[in-house]
Amino acid sequence: MDEQTTLLEQIMAYDFALYDLQLFLDTHPSDENALRDYKMALEQSENLRKQFQSKYGPLNARYLPNTTCWQWINDPWPWDYKGGMNNVVL
Amino acid sequence: MWYYEKKTQYPINIKKPDPRMAVAILTQYGGPNGELAASLRYLSQRFSMPTKETKAILNDIGTEELAHLEMIGSMVHQLMDKVSPQELEKLHVDTMYAIHGRAVYPSDSNGVPFTAAYLESMEDPIANLNEDLAAEQKARATYEYLLKLTDDPDVIDPLRFLREREVVHYQRFGEALRIVQETMGKKKFY
Repeated sequence: MDEQTTLLEQIMAYDFALYDLQLFLDTHPSDENALRDYKMALEQSENLRKQFQSKYGPLNARYLPNTTCWQWINDPWPWDYKGGMNNVVL
Repeated sequence: MWYYEKKTQYPINIKKPDPRMAVAILTQYGGPNGELAASLRYLSQRFSMPTKETKAILNDIGTEELAHLEMIGSMVHQLMDKVSPQELEKLHVDTMYAIHGRAVYPSDSNGVPFTAAYLESMEDPIANLNEDLAAEQKARATYEYLLKLTDDPDVIDPLRFLREREVVHYQRFGEALRIVQETMGKKKFY
């Protein structure tokens, strides 16, 4: 797996953990352990996201890299991966 | 409102096309137990939820279902992409090709278009949450049927993930139902 895919899949794993915890906290809002796990995963996800976006471009349109062109439209889009980002046929 | 994140909830990387499996999976895009029906069901019902917990859970599960819709659409796209019309004819998916080409269209596996008749939204939160519990079980059963139709690990992996999410959502809806019943009991509201 290439570095871009590896990094993205790490972010996806943390973001999934965050979303699962979010649903749990919706019905268990006073669960301190879940809240602590949420904080930890959020920190990890945000660190990895910073790394990813500075190297490979935006994960959402609010990340604005220091360039003169709009990078949001750049490939790959998520539905095109087919065996990893390097294999995207444009 | 929503913002788009340029990633799927779980990786979809299918290397081997399989148009018959694409058509089978299509029912989870626009069929009766599919992700579009699930998302619209919960996002519509959330307006009638009486407590902060249940507003949140309907809102957030409805949102996750949109991510699942995208996963299913990506799977259908990757399983169909660039397969020749001749190959599609051999595999008996030429009728789907005649209507939509190799596009992703919200229908069930027989081509029946999506309809809001697949879902209900009532003012009564107990009626809604019981529908939601049943819907999660029907989706789980559908994923189990789909898992029996393929031996490609690239397809099995995301289908297993989606099956597991139905189980988790069922659990959360059960908790939501308990919360609503306890709250309504306190208010002596029948």
